[in-house]
Amino acid sequence: MAETVLEFSHVDAGYGRVHILKDLSFHVARGEVLGVIGPNGCGKTTMFNALTGQIIPFHGHIQFMNHDITKISSTKRCRSGIGRTYQIPRPFENMSVYENVLVAAVYGAGLSEKKAAPLCKESLEITGLYSKANTRSGSLTLLDRKRLEIARALGTNPKLLLLDEVAAGLTDIEIQDIMQLVTTLKAEGHTIIWIEHIIETMVHCTDRLMCMSDGHELIVGNPQEVISSKPVEEIYLGTEEDESA
Amino acid sequence: MKKWTVGSMVRIIVIIAVIVFLYVMFFAGSRNAIRILLSIALYCTLGQMWNLLSGYAGMTSLGQQIFIGLAGYSVAVCTATYGLPLWLAMIAGAIVCVIAAFLLSYVFSRMSGMYFAIATWVTAEALKILFKSWGFVKMGAGMTIKVSPYPSTAQIYLIAVTVCIVSMFVVYFILNSRVGLSLVAMRDDAGAAASVGVNLFRTKLFCFMLSAGITGVVGGLYYLNQGSIFPDGGFGNSWTIAAVFIVIIGGVGSMTGPVVGAICYVVITEVTVKIENYLNTSLLGVNLIILGAIAIIVILFLPNGIIGTIERKFDFEFIPSKRHAPDIPRNAVTETQKK
Repeated sequence: MAETVLEFSHVDAGYGRVHILKDLSFHVARGEVLGVIGPNGCGKTTMFNALTGQIIPFHGHIQFMNHDITKISSTKRCRSGIGRTYQIPRPFENMSVYENVLVAAVYGAGLSEKKAAPLCKESLEITGLYSKANTRSGSLTLLDRKRLEIARALGTNPKLLLLDEVAAGLTDIEIQDIMQLVTTLKAEGHTIIWIEHIIETMVHCTDRLMCMSDGHELIVGNPQEVISSKPVEEIYLGTEEDESA
Repeated sequence: MKKWTVGSMVRIIVIIAVIVFLYVMFFAGSRNAIRILLSIALYCTLGQMWNLLSGYAGMTSLGQQIFIGLAGYSVAVCTATYGLPLWLAMIAGAIVCVIAAFLLSYVFSRMSGMYFAIATWVTAEALKILFKSWGFVKMGAGMTIKVSPYPSTAQIYLIAVTVCIVSMFVVYFILNSRVGLSLVAMRDDAGAAASVGVNLFRTKLFCFMLSAGITGVVGGLYYLNQGSIFPDGGFGNSWTIAAVFIVIIGGVGSMTGPVVGAICYVVITEVTVKIENYLNTSLLGVNLIILGAIAIIVILFLPNGIIGTIERKFDFEFIPSKRHAPDIPRNAVTETQKK
């Protein structure tokens, strides 16, 4: 079995007094793509926030590369190798595409500006943005903004890449582009956690699929099996005896 | 590898010419010219520091007078109360400001946007009241700066011009360093900047302390030239109004902006004084109305300021701080943006 990169054990987290994550446990192995699905509000993005340090869990532990990262700052987590994208792209709008990735490479990967150039170029080439490197990022289209999110996360030279609904809001053809991109990233050996609602992307591009419900992992396993499993069906389509729900 | 283009040659020649001109004016300028240039140099430095804070780091301070007042009073207290030499008093003023900024930032750094702006303003107002009722600084009666021999306006001008030039070089080097890269990122989206590894607190602290120290030097020089300081003037919000006006007129987030803004500000103020003298009446507050009207017109029609608009239109920076991807032609920028 491949080495475990990330392990959530019994994590409770939320905002203020609102509990979102309840006893969440799962792990990610090196080189795999873990897909995450679940109804709105079940805590998928909150899981990312707990993982990147935007919120600190109430209980439980998060282990990353055999270190306990439960309580360290988001800056340090990024530097230790967790790169994230945001569901709604958050580019540094007044900077060029290249500068966006450069910030990530200089601060996230800890390189000098000169040494960061090849990494930036690589990140932009793999995401297909290099020809727009000198464009102001505020003027990009949605697809390019999503690509830039990925390029910027790659710029931090991550050991674990978190993709938060990178395909949401795109057209079918654009979704194919993103799927192709994730496949390429996986082939390059990246370890990825990918949250998405689009079932097609989840079935075709992930190694394992986790379905979350009410802040808890409901079922984890082979994507095809998870999608067709009884509990997942119940969550998305409702149970037959509705009054019990 | 930097290549010597015609553009960069012209730039360097212009910069050297301006610097030479400013120093030649020390010998050749009339009293009046030196007085005006002194104002421009001080306001330009003030604007540069506000621009660094607000235009680049996204920390919109409305309390720059905190540091003007603290430094002005430090100079007065050091010279009048303790009889220290002037240079020591000036340095003490800057150090007081840096320490004050360090202490304040532990509170301020938890705030952003409007909250930061209000907190800085309230702090300035609180200091004004404190200095009005503090016997050590002679309360509202103000303090006189006592040094002998008292430096002439021309000598103060020489220091002010040097401070202005040095501060611009400092800003230039910051913007072209790794810190500069993180500043713009932080302004655009602090959360996203933190998630790519930018240490927000340390970066903000650095900018705040640097701008406090240099703004303090401006305050010290200004009140050295005035001869005396009062709480209402030293901690007055006209300092922030001036800084905001200068940066908005010139162009937020551009290094050349505050230079143009400071020239506009001082010229407008001078002209209104001239008109007052000509009409032989006091047009109390008219200069503020004119400044306000100009600011509104610029915000409406040139939202990026005079320099900002020119730089955006021609995709060009008078003093460059942008990074460009290697082996992508610069022209590609305008091509893709036009689409």
